[in-house]
Amino acid sequence: MRSQEKMSDKERTDNTGLIYKQRKISNDWRLIPDGKQQRTSVWETLGKHRLAYAFILPALIVVGAVILYPLIEVFKISFERYYLVEILTKGASYVGLANYLEILRDPEFWHSLGITVTFTAACVILTMLVGLAVALLLNLEFPGQKLVAVAILIPWVMPRVASSILWKWIYDDQFGILNYLLSLIGFKEMASFPWLANPSSALWAVIIVIVWQSFPFIAVCLLAALQSISVEIFEAARIDGAGPWQRLRFITMPLLRNILGILTVISTIWDFKAFDQMWVLTEGGPAGSTMILGIHTWMSAFAYLRMGRASALAIIMLLLVTVVTLLYLKLFIREEDDNG
Amino acid sequence: MANVRFTKRNIPAAILIYVAAIVIFLVSVFPFFWMLSTSLKLPEDTFASVPRLIPPRFTLENYKRAFSETLLSRYFLNSIYVASVVTLVGVILSALGAYGFSRFRFPGRNFFLLFILCIQMLPSVVIIIPLFIVMRNMGLLNNHCSLLVSYSTFTLPLCIWMLKGFFDGIPRELEEAAMIDGCSVGSAFFKVILPLTLPGIAASGIYAFIGAWNEFVFAMTFLNTNELYTMPVGLNTFFGQFTVEWNQLMAASVFFTIPSLIFFMLVRKYLAMGMMSGSVKG
Repeated sequence: MRSQEKMSDKERTDNTGLIYKQRKISNDWRLIPDGKQQRTSVWETLGKHRLAYAFILPALIVVGAVILYPLIEVFKISFERYYLVEILTKGASYVGLANYLEILRDPEFWHSLGITVTFTAACVILTMLVGLAVALLLNLEFPGQKLVAVAILIPWVMPRVASSILWKWIYDDQFGILNYLLSLIGFKEMASFPWLANPSSALWAVIIVIVWQSFPFIAVCLLAALQSISVEIFEAARIDGAGPWQRLRFITMPLLRNILGILTVISTIWDFKAFDQMWVLTEGGPAGSTMILGIHTWMSAFAYLRMGRASALAIIMLLLVTVVTLLYLKLFIREEDDNG
Repeated sequence: MANVRFTKRNIPAAILIYVAAIVIFLVSVFPFFWMLSTSLKLPEDTFASVPRLIPPRFTLENYKRAFSETLLSRYFLNSIYVASVVTLVGVILSALGAYGFSRFRFPGRNFFLLFILCIQMLPSVVIIIPLFIVMRNMGLLNNHCSLLVSYSTFTLPLCIWMLKGFFDGIPRELEEAAMIDGCSVGSAFFKVILPLTLPGIAASGIYAFIGAWNEFVFAMTFLNTNELYTMPVGLNTFFGQFTVEWNQLMAASVFFTIPSLIFFMLVRKYLAMGMMSGSVKG
């Protein structure tokens, strides 16, 4: 700001280095771009803002070293034949797109992708529905509301590995409480059902654990959003004769639209990334029925030690996440603009 | 909003609300209660044909045995060590970064902010493959350093965004006044601003701690000595044994959950805020 004021009246430069000329147009001094761009050099920019960069530099260096550099590496390795066992003797060799082509021809990859899509979609839909329902309920005032609001935090608080171990115990075919309760209410044939060892139920068993653990976050965020809606709108609608369902449909839902969008995208990314619960509960089994991409990739890298192929899988995962992340950023920036 | 008053007219609504509330309550609390209950039961009572909700005979034997017969205390100390260092490093880096982002306008600011936000979206499996190779080349595998470095980095996105929110809430005039009184930018930051954002610092520190306390994939991949395992990896090795000692395992899991639970309750207000990365301003 100050540097601008010091400049001559005839010529000004803004932050981007564009030169403007002042010209008199109908008795009014206007700034008009001069056409030729004068780029300030990188060093000048750094020098001008060196204090700001000094503050953020430590974080940026760490991010660069631990995230950016490895990302470049993984991209490079995805074009290489890179077996961890022979890296010392033979090294890695460039093989072009071979890893990618192999993956795309591999039915196991498509199977895994299919499971990932089912898994992610089911988790997101169920989490959002349960989260929204719980938020709407907790937004009502009733005695005991506070207690329930705190109780729902418990699943969220539990470390992912702890809750997975716990659910493994609940799902236990012999002594698990779930089968006992099911047999109590009449499902006698479920008395020793192996939830996690049966290929048709294992995925859903894990989905339930994920939904159990992630609905509280959604509920808490939506509740905060609900409580920021002003009461007057609802009063006005009530006076105009809108019933509870109409108020939900025509006032609450439209007002929650942005936040619901953001939360759906965040959940999609989180559930796509889910690994811990799946690993502890099933390790991708039985018979590959819970082999989501994350597990598939991890196994390629650290069970079969095929780093090249695993890196190519990682890049594919990264591309999928990027698509969703771009959507998130779009929604996020819009929301920031709306607010500020 | 809808402030439900229980009049005779809406008794069915009240019943519906309470049925829903009780279901939600039980679904949320019962699994944890069951973990606690199993951890306090004798093995005979655990594997009885009719399981009892409340242990018929309370015992702390499972906790004692989990500590004496396994490396649980070792895992616990490892986790405490890793999580504490990560908290310290993470908070220092993100406080500096967040202050820079909050107070200065410089080229690339928005880009860096959004880039940092995107890091959170990165699946661990993607970054763990190259990071494993980097760590291997540096000889850091099977060493807590590899965890310290990666955890500290992955706490940055949320901590920076959370702290930026706190710094944004403090008027600039404070530093300006401090600087007129002769403070340098550095001392204005440390003496004036930092004390005011202590709640934010604490919240982001606790977030970093919980994150490192819970993390599983990196620890599982980078470590391969039992003595170095952190809690999550250590607990998962309990399944390697022939028969799973569920009572001990539940005792260990309770022990693993408690620190997370306590810390979480302290910062839950800020945590939701941070996780939404400032997008709900309610």
